[in-house]
Amino acid sequence: MENLIELAGVKKSFGDQEILRGINLSVKKGENVVVLGKSGQGKSVTIKCIVGMIIPDEGSVKVFGDEVPEMDEDELRALRIRIGFLFQGGALYDSMTVRENLAFPLQRVLKIKDEHEIEERSMEVLEAVGLSGAIDQMPADLSGGMRKRMGLARTIIVRPEILLYDEPTTGLDTITSREISGLICSIKDKYKTTSIIITHDMACAKLTADRIVIMNDGICIAEGTYDELENSKDGFISSFFK
Amino acid sequence: MAANSSTINNILEKMGEQGMFFKSFVRNIFKGGFEWNEFLRQCYFIGYRTVGIVMLTGFILGFVLTLQSLPTLQQFGAQTFVPAMVSVSVVREIGPVITALICAGKIASGIGAELGSMKVTEQIDAMEVSGANPMQYLVVTRILACVLMVPLLTMVADGMAFLGGYGGINLKGGMSAILYFRKTFAGLTYSDLFPAVAKTFFFGFIIGFVGCFKGFNSNRGTESVGMAANSAVVAASIGIIIVDAVAVQLTSALVYN
Repeated sequence: MENLIELAGVKKSFGDQEILRGINLSVKKGENVVVLGKSGQGKSVTIKCIVGMIIPDEGSVKVFGDEVPEMDEDELRALRIRIGFLFQGGALYDSMTVRENLAFPLQRVLKIKDEHEIEERSMEVLEAVGLSGAIDQMPADLSGGMRKRMGLARTIIVRPEILLYDEPTTGLDTITSREISGLICSIKDKYKTTSIIITHDMACAKLTADRIVIMNDGICIAEGTYDELENSKDGFISSFFK
Repeated sequence: MAANSSTINNILEKMGEQGMFFKSFVRNIFKGGFEWNEFLRQCYFIGYRTVGIVMLTGFILGFVLTLQSLPTLQQFGAQTFVPAMVSVSVVREIGPVITALICAGKIASGIGAELGSMKVTEQIDAMEVSGANPMQYLVVTRILACVLMVPLLTMVADGMAFLGGYGGINLKGGMSAILYFRKTFAGLTYSDLFPAVAKTFFFGFIIGFVGCFKGFNSNRGTESVGMAANSAVVAASIGIIIVDAVAVQLTSALVYN
């Protein structure tokens, strides 16, 4: 199966601090890859390189076969339409209602003007995330879990081929975390997406991962299925599963 | 020595960032898909939220100016010149500058805080990675709304100052409304009006630009929201005073000579 995302020898420093020290990572079409690692190891920086928000100092970042750091503004915009990014806090536009949040990418990114189509698509994604009753609410009125689900709805409304999740279950209770993990799986099945999920939540990793990559000190140190890594003899790797 | 060169580097870096921000702003004005709805919404907010305080300040300004100058001019029997003197002072200088400073405090801080909090909560990043254009949606609309609304607010303030002047002159004596306003407008010429109106467009630009720049480039963390709002007011106020000084020099050289 073809690789949709390929990172080779990616390095990135901020000032004197070297965050990425030569990351190699590839993600096949239709695959859910979970990235595990302690805080501050460069997991979020890695996915921000994929979407062109951060330009690496060295190395190659290929998405759909195109080199991301070499793209101009218009090419980046075209790429980003094909990639969905779920931020930790949902990043909902708090001056807009749920309906307006959903309409925003449709009107501005896909240039859809037909109100009927916007409404239809909004209802479809809200039903997919179980929030169809919240369409006229403001983001401030939503709970943490609802905000995440709403952020997910806004991300999938443009039907991206790749989804990048930045700690989708952080700050949520166990039940809501499980619901979000379930949603990630059902979105993969329904929309045939390819995903990278950054998480510290092992229950989420177990539920969603086809493959797990472990990062430490700015490089990928291990990869495999959940079961393979759980039974690893390496103390550092097995510490994630205890 | 090292500290000096680091300060110079910081200043040059900031200037470079502002230059890039300005370039991006200009490019996005002419890019297709102008956000008319957001622009009109911003015009409404900027105008509606500021008009009350601008009217009150304008009225008091005219009132106080009249009360202050009346006794002096009365000594020379020149009290009939008070309306013209007040109108020229207000239209040429006091109206535009005071209105712009009020707008810097109210609008630039509001924009700085709004965009700063959007930055902190990753809303701007979310807009950018979705393929939308935050520069076009958030920045272009706000700056152009300021450019349009600050001159209009200045005109409102000027009008209220004339009314305040009428109130002031009738507090210590009497002058009919017809005579007062005839004398007020008789004192004004086009060479008073045009340069004054022209500089308010620049004031509006400074308020919008500084507010957007500070908010858009604020750091992560809630503290930076307050800092963005605060520094937007300070930088916009200084910018307004500098532009005013330049405008006065230019007007003196080009119009009154």
